[in-house]
Order: sequence, then C-alpha cells, then structure tokens
Amino acid sequence: MTQTKHIEMRGVRKTYPFFTLDDLSLDLEPGQIMGFVGANGAGKSTTIRLAMGLIAPDAGDIRVLGHAIPEAQGAAKRDIGFVSSEMRLLPHTTIGWHMQFISSIYPEWDAPYAEALVKRFNLRPAQGSGGLSQGEQIKALLMLTLARRPRLLILDEPTNGLDPVARHEVMTEFMDVLRDDNRSILFSSHNTVDVERISDRITFIDRGRVVDCNDKEDFLERWRRIHLQLPPGVTLPHLPGIVSRVVDGQFSTLTTNSYSDGLLALLGNTVRDVQRMSLEEIFVANVFHHREARGQ
Amino acid sequence: MNIVTRKLVSKELYVNRWFIAGGAFSGVVSVCVAALGKAGFSVGSLMWITAIIALGVMLALYGVMNERKERSMLFVLSLPLSIADYVRAKMLGLALCFFIPWLVASVAAIVLVLAKGDVPDGLVPYTVLLSVYMLANFLVLLCWTLHVNSEAWISAAIVLTNMGVSIYMFVVGAQPGLQDHLYGPTPVWNQTAWTILIVELGVIVLAFTLPFLLAARRRDFI
Repeated sequence: MTQTKHIEMRGVRKTYPFFTLDDLSLDLEPGQIMGFVGANGAGKSTTIRLAMGLIAPDAGDIRVLGHAIPEAQGAAKRDIGFVSSEMRLLPHTTIGWHMQFISSIYPEWDAPYAEALVKRFNLRPAQGSGGLSQGEQIKALLMLTLARRPRLLILDEPTNGLDPVARHEVMTEFMDVLRDDNRSILFSSHNTVDVERISDRITFIDRGRVVDCNDKEDFLERWRRIHLQLPPGVTLPHLPGIVSRVVDGQFSTLTTNSYSDGLLALLGNTVRDVQRMSLEEIFVANVFHHREARGQ
Repeated sequence: MNIVTRKLVSKELYVNRWFIAGGAFSGVVSVCVAALGKAGFSVGSLMWITAIIALGVMLALYGVMNERKERSMLFVLSLPLSIADYVRAKMLGLALCFFIPWLVASVAAIVLVLAKGDVPDGLVPYTVLLSVYMLANFLVLLCWTLHVNSEAWISAAIVLTNMGVSIYMFVVGAQPGLQDHLYGPTPVWNQTAWTILIVELGVIVLAFTLPFLLAARRRDFI
C-alpha cells in the first residue's frame, strides 16, 4: 500500500504585489528530510506558511499528512511541529508554563524527553520568556515541538541568528530526531552547510519558482567543476549538461550538472582537474543557470 | 468549543492576569475616591472612566497587536487549530479579560450610587448605560483590531473609541428622558433608557459576531 505523502503541493500559486510564488509543486515522503534552500526572499517562508494553512493559495492544491490545506489545517497541525526563526514564546510566561500548556494540548507529550532536552539545551523552566535570547527562544521552541513527537517537522530557518555553539546543539538534536524513520522534516534555510548535513533530498527555490529538486547524493554526484587546458586554436564543441563556461585564454572552467565518465571521455586529455562541488556552489550555479535560462 | 480553544481562552486569562487585576483594582479604587465628597466624586468618576478605557486599550494592544508584532502569534497558530478557532479563542479570551474587571468596576460604581446618601439614585440608569457602553466600546475596538493588520488603523480606532466616550456622555446625558431623572431620588427606567440599552446590546452582539464572519474567514491571516 502506498503511504500518504507528508506534504503534497501541486501547481500552487500565491501572488503579492511585488512577489509571486508560481506553479510550485513539492512532495515530501514519509521519513524524508528535505532541505528547502533559497536566498532571502526566494519564497521559502511563503511556501511554509502555505503548507501550515496560515495563508491560502490563489491556485493549486495542498495536502499535508493527507489533509486538505488550509481547510483542514486544525487536524493536520495535530501531527505537525512547526518552528520558525521568527516565532516567539508567549509573553509574561515562563518556559515551564509553556511545557505545561503544550502537554495539556498534546497527549503524546513525552515529559522525560522534554526534561532531557531542557538539560541538553541548558534551559531553565523558571526562566521568563521575555528575557530569553534569540538562541534560547529557538531552543525552547524546538524543545516544545520535539517533545510532542510530531510526525512532520516543518522548520523555517531554525538556525538563523544562532551562535555556532547553539547551532551545533540544535543540529545535533536534529540528527537524533532523524533516527525515527517515520518522521519527515521540511527544513528551510539559506545555510547550505546545515542543509547538507541533515537532508537526504534537496529543493532549490529562487524568485518564487522551484529551480531543482533531487536527492542530495545525486546533486553531489552530478555536479562537477572541470578545469581544461585547450591546445591553441582548438575550441570546445557544444557539450550537453554544461551550465556555465568560463574561458581565460587557453584555460576553461566548465560547470556541469551531468557529470559522467562519458563526458570525461569526450573532453579527453584536455582535462586538468575535476572538482567536486559543495552544496552551496551547486545552489549558486543552479540559480544563475536558471535565471539565465529564464532571461532574468 | 474544542479543547485547544478552551486552553487558549485560559491562556489569555493567564497572560493578561496583571491587566485583569490592575483593571479591577483601579475600578474599585476609583469608586472609593468617588465616595470622598463632591470633589472626590468628580476625580473618582474620571479615574473610573480612564481605568476602563485604559484596560480596553491595553488588552487590544497587547493581546492582539503585540502578539502579531512580537511573532508569538506564529506560535499560537502552530497549534492544532483553524483560523476560525484562533479568532474565537481570541475574542472570547480577551472579552473575558475585559469583562471581569469591567464587571467589578461597574458593580462597584452602582453600589456607590445606591449606597451613598449624597449621590442621587437617579444616576443608576446613566451609570448602567455608561458601563454597558464601555463594554460595547471595547468589543468594537477588539473587533476592529482583529480585522485589520495595520498599526495605524488600530491607533486610529483607539483614538476614535476614546473620543466616543466623551461624545456619548455628552449626548446621552443630554437626552430629556435621562437628564430629567438624573438627580431624582429613584432610578427611572423609561423608554429612552431602555432604547439606549437595547442599542448598546445590539452593538455588543454585532461587535462580538463580526469577527467570526470576517476575521475568521480571512484567507491570509499573517
């Protein structure tokens, strides 16, 4: 039997005066960890707010955990843990009050796990929400979310504004959470290092459009930077899968999204070096390639 | 009402506990001041009106606008509830936060009028009408605050509802059916008083219902 997709978006459009999220389609399978990467203003938060039902699409269909969104968002959110870097705890309360509040709403609340997270994140239940730093706010929100063990985690730039130590603590906790095969995560960030660390599938978004979506390993295997030295008077023929070409005299640098032994064989002994690309380099090259293709 | 809505109503009462306590306390203190002779009555009455208006403004500002601005609304909206549930909880919760101190202050004011010999009992209808007006005034402000996103529009509503109290006191106090009996020895509930009360109750019902028809149906809530 096919399992219900945790997130399913088809042809979603959302228009604002100066921004349009256009024809967005996205699938998140159970147990999958999807890194959702885009520059600031690319449409990551808009997509996440659509998935949470906080805004309604102008066109297209959204289903989360099998529920139609935004209509059945109440039922869907029972199994969604949502944390955003923009989110804050309620004022005039303490972390302990929030723990009590969340545990009274979610019967799945795991009190021992919550206590363990409080210790690991160095939080104090008596601490007032007003005096928490950005890092403490995020850690408290993550503790409140993780301790109720949701099936789907939607994280909107959760490591934004965290110092390196806090970021490490949070990312380590994510790695632990990932051991649960039935839980899926949509992790939005412009920090490709974090995304590369935890994701098994990656979607790139730019200026309101999904520009690429694939398995992380596939991205890392397909994309290469190839340095060539061409003999005088020889020009490169048209090659498939070359997204950029920088020529400097007899030296050329090709960026490809279709690296294979076949391509290497075609280039022959002109190849001087082949470099693997980081996710950040792949993202940037991908974005520029698509902007060029769209004439932007 | 589902469990999340109930929890959110309780949350409003907890988060705004100091406003509730402060509002009730100020209302009672104002009435005590009003009991201190003629000058005390004028000062106490002003304090009483100011306390109730300030309570309403604080609840609208902190309960709705600040929750939006400080992004704790995102936390609330991440809970298993619909936008309609959120609006329902907000409306009920904040109305209750206002209602408790408002009731304390209103009852204290009516008791003062009835108990104090030098204050004519004829003031009772006017006091009741003014109290109910203050409740309607707050609900209109709350309804508006839930409906609009703009801080400027909310500020404008605060100014207008504040001004509304003075205008109301002047216009309603000058109605012949009320003015004629203000200083009488007994409360007179004539047609004028009942008509004003019914209009006020109508505004309360409308202000309480509109958010469920408008704000709860908004497609984009943030």
